[in-house]
Amino acid sequence: MVFDFVSWFLGRRDKPRSKDLAKERLKVVLTHDRVDISPQMFEKLRRDLAIACAKYVEIDEAAMSVRLDSQDRRLALIASVPVLGTKATAYSSKRRGKMG
Amino acid sequence: MNGKVMVVTSGKGGVGKTTAVANIGCALARRGKKVALVDADIGLRNLDIVLGLENRIVFDIIHAMEGRCRLRQALIKDKRVQTLYLLPAAQSKDKEAIQPEQMKQLTGELRDQFDYVILDCPAGIERGFKNAIVGADDAIIITTPEVSAVRDADRIVGLLEAEGIEKPKLVINRIRPDMVKRGDMLDIDDVLDILAIDLLGVVPDDESVITSTNKGEPAVLDGASRAGEAFRRIAARLEGEDVPFLSMEAPTFWGRIKRFLGAAR
Repeated sequence: MVFDFVSWFLGRRDKPRSKDLAKERLKVVLTHDRVDISPQMFEKLRRDLAIACAKYVEIDEAAMSVRLDSQDRRLALIASVPVLGTKATAYSSKRRGKMG
Repeated sequence: MNGKVMVVTSGKGGVGKTTAVANIGCALARRGKKVALVDADIGLRNLDIVLGLENRIVFDIIHAMEGRCRLRQALIKDKRVQTLYLLPAAQSKDKEAIQPEQMKQLTGELRDQFDYVILDCPAGIERGFKNAIVGADDAIIITTPEVSAVRDADRIVGLLEAEGIEKPKLVINRIRPDMVKRGDMLDIDDVLDILAIDLLGVVPDDESVITSTNKGEPAVLDGASRAGEAFRRIAARLEGEDVPFLSMEAPTFWGRIKRFLGAAR
């Protein structure tokens, strides 16, 4: 308690401001309210997205993140998909093999 | 006359809808506009007591809709502000007693006689809400800087858009400058950032609203009330004036003294 008072007196602010928590929580909940998509549907979307990406590049599905974001009442799907390697080399060598 | 029909709504209850309707309406009437305030909260009559007109009700909105009296007879004329009228809610019926078509017809009739028709919408998003918005051209959304009120306001924006009421305007009520300064209350920019709609006004949390409600005199009639000043500015903006938003800085000691002297003058 004495420490709290001293940090308050010195004007230290390591504690997160409660309004920042309010804003963050609201942003997340409103984005999902607005799009009105069930967690099951969202998981299906994530899975399909992973499958689609994996057709072209080698991805790290476990580390992939997909989320909804909104700005000015417009929604965006933000996906971050770590790429382990391209399949371009494998693709072209196969083609070459066929030609030969 | 071809007046404007506006609905004041919030989703969540208890954020100050009725107070806002009374004050915005009163402020517009004081500017010389002919204003009809409609209490659309059937079964939970409140606007009359906030305005101090509770002892003058003979007929109500349901009587007028069912043709048991003329619309003119149900409208109560305010004695303080000559161009202000109230159409009270029925206390004995419930929200199911009104059909959307009846409401549309009623607002249409009022529009011909008034510059502004302002509807006090019930809380919630059910029948009462749908009835209140059916005849409205514009909407004013009231919120407070709290997570529950802001979330409900966002839902209302979506529902209004679905009903063809685009671009609702926002009033942020009960702002506490001291808490905003400490970072313990969402500030104006936070709320606007989240809701992304146009701002119509900001109203500080002000004890004078409670005392004026106790007396049945809207705060806009009290020259010293900060909230009253905020509502007067909202009325000016509705009239197309470009007035600055009321400062939400926490008042300093000298600021308080200056304000006291200003009010006494």
